[in-house]
Amino acid sequence: MATDSIESNGGKTASFGFQDVAPEEKPSLVQGVFESVAGRYDLMNDLMSGGVHRLWKSALIDRLKPRPSMHLLDVAGGTGDIAFRFMEAGGGKVSVCDLTEGMVRVGRDRAIDHGILSKVDWLVGDAQGLPLADRSVDAYTIAFGLRNVTDIDAALAEARRVLKPGGHFLCLEFSHVVLPVLDDIYDTYSFRVLPALGQAVANDRESYQYLVESIRMFPDQKTLAAKMADAGLARADWQNLSGGIAAIHSGWRV
Amino acid sequence: MSENKDQSRQVDPKLLEFLVCPLTHGTLRYDREAQELISDQAKLAYPIRDGIPIMLPYEARQLDDD
Repeated sequence: MATDSIESNGGKTASFGFQDVAPEEKPSLVQGVFESVAGRYDLMNDLMSGGVHRLWKSALIDRLKPRPSMHLLDVAGGTGDIAFRFMEAGGGKVSVCDLTEGMVRVGRDRAIDHGILSKVDWLVGDAQGLPLADRSVDAYTIAFGLRNVTDIDAALAEARRVLKPGGHFLCLEFSHVVLPVLDDIYDTYSFRVLPALGQAVANDRESYQYLVESIRMFPDQKTLAAKMADAGLARADWQNLSGGIAAIHSGWRV
Repeated sequence: MSENKDQSRQVDPKLLEFLVCPLTHGTLRYDREAQELISDQAKLAYPIRDGIPIMLPYEARQLDDD
């Protein structure tokens, strides 16, 4: 399938859900999905995960151990979910960088409501070409963002570049279910229920179909840890959440 | 969007301590009038829309040679 795009591209393609697309097409396709869902993104996350994504995000913050001297870069965190939790848990400063302007606007407007605007920077930027100086932040988080990046290896290399020595990398992402019965239930739920839910709540079946497919195309726990090690992130390990529906990967710039 | 609201959405100068051009990793100049962040090396001006720096090369304005 998709032989046209392979020929026009010297053999290189990127996955957009289950479709193969030319690598240069993926960012605008992903932006389209998120511009499309931005306004209802947090509501959909609650519905999709039955609210469990809140527990997973809390687990990420626990692992991060925020402190007042810590400057966090949160990538793909447009609506501010991780940024606000980090500040509430005692973090010092956070820069949010997301590819989609619509998502960043939602987050920035929420920050005005939270009254913490001055401690949060909002940026539109690409995880594969971050607009931050080398060794500029104490921690890097990416929650439910890495699977939307065209070149995961490039994003991991950028994460290492912007971290200070001793800096902590944390990725929260859907992963591969490790429990035998749960994986059947999860398959049914994600391929049948989720797109229908996306249609009902956001009137946007295709965007949620993409989200489900992109989860399946994402590397499993061990493969992602190996990619982190290749990118120079030391002591790469992971912790499964909810039987591997999601996982937190951790690594360090040494 | 009101004038006042626009002014409250100015870019924090502290941002320029760690914000760089994503192509060159060089420092940026803040043009307050034009609401742009200028990368002299890359000859690009990154727009600031409603207080949000848009740090994507394909969204930036090409600067003329002179």
